[in-house]
Amino acid sequence: MKKAFLAFLILTLTIGIVFAGGAKEAKYPTKPITIICPWAAGGGTDRTARFIAEQLSKKLGVPVNVVNKTGGSGAVGHGEGAAAAPDGYTITNLTFEINVLKYLGYADLTPENFIPLIQFNEDAAAVIVSAKSPYKNVKELLDDIKAKPEGTFKFSGSTIASAWDLPRIQMLMAYGIDPQKVKYIPTQGAAPAITELLGGHVDVLTCSYPEAAGQIAAGALKALAIMADERNPNFPDVPTLKEQGINVVGGTWRGFAVPLKTPELAVNTLRKAMKEITETQEFKDFMNKAGFGIKVRVGQEFGDFMINQYKALKPVMETAGYLKK
Amino acid sequence: MWGCDMDTILSVFRVEILIPWLLAMILGIFVGAMPGLTATMAVALIVPLTFHTPPIVGLAMILGVSFTAIFAGDIPATFLRVPGTPASGAAVLDGYEMNKQGKGPLAIALDLTCSTLGGTIGVLILITISPILASFALQFTHFEYFWLALLGLSMSAVITKGSTMKGLISMTGGLILSTIGLDISTGYPRFSFGSTYLMSGINFIPVMIGLFGISEVLRSISITSHDQLGDAAIISNVKADFRSVGTIMGRNKRLILQSSLIGTLIGALPGAGADIAAWVAYGMAKKTSKTPEQFGTGSEEGVIAPTTANNAALGGTWIPALVFGIPGDSITAIVLGAMMMYGLKPGPLVFQGSRDLVNQIFTVAVISQFFLLILGYLGIRAFTWFFKFPRNVVLAGITIFSIIGAYALRSSVFDVGLVLVFGILGYLMERVTIPLPPFILGLILGPMIEENLRIGLVKTSGNFWPFFNRPISAFFAMLLLLIFLYEPIKILIQRKRN
Repeated sequence: MKKAFLAFLILTLTIGIVFAGGAKEAKYPTKPITIICPWAAGGGTDRTARFIAEQLSKKLGVPVNVVNKTGGSGAVGHGEGAAAAPDGYTITNLTFEINVLKYLGYADLTPENFIPLIQFNEDAAAVIVSAKSPYKNVKELLDDIKAKPEGTFKFSGSTIASAWDLPRIQMLMAYGIDPQKVKYIPTQGAAPAITELLGGHVDVLTCSYPEAAGQIAAGALKALAIMADERNPNFPDVPTLKEQGINVVGGTWRGFAVPLKTPELAVNTLRKAMKEITETQEFKDFMNKAGFGIKVRVGQEFGDFMINQYKALKPVMETAGYLKK
Repeated sequence: MWGCDMDTILSVFRVEILIPWLLAMILGIFVGAMPGLTATMAVALIVPLTFHTPPIVGLAMILGVSFTAIFAGDIPATFLRVPGTPASGAAVLDGYEMNKQGKGPLAIALDLTCSTLGGTIGVLILITISPILASFALQFTHFEYFWLALLGLSMSAVITKGSTMKGLISMTGGLILSTIGLDISTGYPRFSFGSTYLMSGINFIPVMIGLFGISEVLRSISITSHDQLGDAAIISNVKADFRSVGTIMGRNKRLILQSSLIGTLIGALPGAGADIAAWVAYGMAKKTSKTPEQFGTGSEEGVIAPTTANNAALGGTWIPALVFGIPGDSITAIVLGAMMMYGLKPGPLVFQGSRDLVNQIFTVAVISQFFLLILGYLGIRAFTWFFKFPRNVVLAGITIFSIIGAYALRSSVFDVGLVLVFGILGYLMERVTIPLPPFILGLILGPMIEENLRIGLVKTSGNFWPFFNRPISAFFAMLLLLIFLYEPIKILIQRKRN
């Protein structure tokens, strides 16, 4: 009798555990979700992450918190995101930097350390000069760089090997100019670089158009080109680099990913919810107002995009001398 | 430039503006008084809440929270020797000394009034001559910032009491530590030993909390005798003493003006903020004082200078932000992002296109100073409550808040470790009378000096000449020379006379 009772107890408990486990599998999410943002509170990536966190929380019915894990040019946040428990409750806000961390020797991380969920933003680099400068298009500027002695021109935009520095190198290379022929003045982001250009301390700036939009509207600066596939409907007067005969596209992007081995249910739920968010008018209004470009790539398409860019950046990093040996 | 009329002033006195504004100012007191929680963090958290409100509500909240937070940072700096915000680092020096002499209430009352006055002067400068100052700030580039940072660093010599050699040891320690992390001009990780945490460098906020705060807790608990407990730093009755403040301030009119100007000017520079302003104002106050020997021993002037300058700097940071759309510090950087969300295009056109809003911002900034006086007083009273607990509870509380604050900075346990390590280091340094402030100055200014020198040299292909022949560079170089040669020349002249 005792044995039978014990057997019954074990059986119920086992079933109970299996069932509970099964229930956990079948239901997602059941507890708060964390989004790791590798950049500081109040910055562009943080603002978009917080907006989407709010929307995602409404959609999934659980709290979604943004945690800023900053440092090491994004290495800290991306690293903690990749190493987080693969249960679908830690999402990482990936940015362009994931494609250069390994080349720079900052962290052994590539896009392949993540399961891609969705990309929601892309901002092309723009070539910006002082409104007083004589150049009417990019070719005039680049021809002048070719003609003048080495070190005459100073570029700026952001940190070394950033999303604003690398397209600059690609542009120069595509036009047959050795990137070392110009100087690059590294800054902690686009804002101080704009200050440098306004003060006349540098000659050319590569950063996103909206970051300099206030100065362009006021007639202090002008944009010669954007490095996108086609013109942007928000500023249709600015031609693409491609139109001007230089086949270079580049800039920054933002997206979300989860660690490898995350259960399929969580991945699919998040992909679907985030895709729906990007289709809402509210999302579009937010992005337009804040000056962020919208580009949506879901799942594998996002993954392929990252891997292709990661591979394409290697020769650029090498020419620029940024590749860690 | 202030097209001021009654309508603009009255337009901010509406319930839907006043309530969030005052709530933000109360939040600012809390955030400022908590070590590790910074005004920048508070602003970053407030901004998403304001996307659905009219712009002025959000801007009033941001202005309010930043002014109260910068003042409230001085409260724990004065009573506990824990700077509540980075801008309060210099307020520790004499405020805490006064507190040790039982004059803490006077120090904090003086601090609050000076903060308000400094803030008001900063805002008035913003309202009146911001376009001129902003154009001036644009002249600053790596060459000028290099000298400014060096000037700041030389303050460590000025503020050191006792052995100059020990001051140098302390400053060098800070400088060496500041070389850890990614090198901005090459992107190379230095002294990181493969750790991603060390790659981002040693953040000075946890170091400051550890060196000043935790070390003081350690010192307090190492006092064994009951008689000594009475002299211990933490006093039981904290109240703001406003009676003698008026007389003291009357005596120091020139110093208040000088510190406000230094604060506003440094605040207006996009490459330097309230923390550096406070240190430079303190050093300059000592240099221009008739009684420099009293600095560091609980001097009133030593309280007035940094606390006036850090609040004045806030007005300064809005100058490049409003005139050029360039952030003057990390708070205005967030403000500019928020302005886009409000549908305003930050930049020169805001001044012309949104005249009314700019006037409202000015009005809010001025009125915030009056609110600061009242809320700051209440904040001090609230702090009193904390001291009614037994000493062991207070000490444990400081430790816990220091750790939480360090963690909150960027959700990193590594920073908590830093607080503890530097707490012990600070305790040991004081045991052998090595001063702590030069260490912090070295850590803050080391990267600024190095980056600006190196990037400046990249610009000029290795030519040092622009560091001397640009007008502002030359001025700073001369000023620096003067600071160091003033004493020897004075002695030389006196000798000749005799």
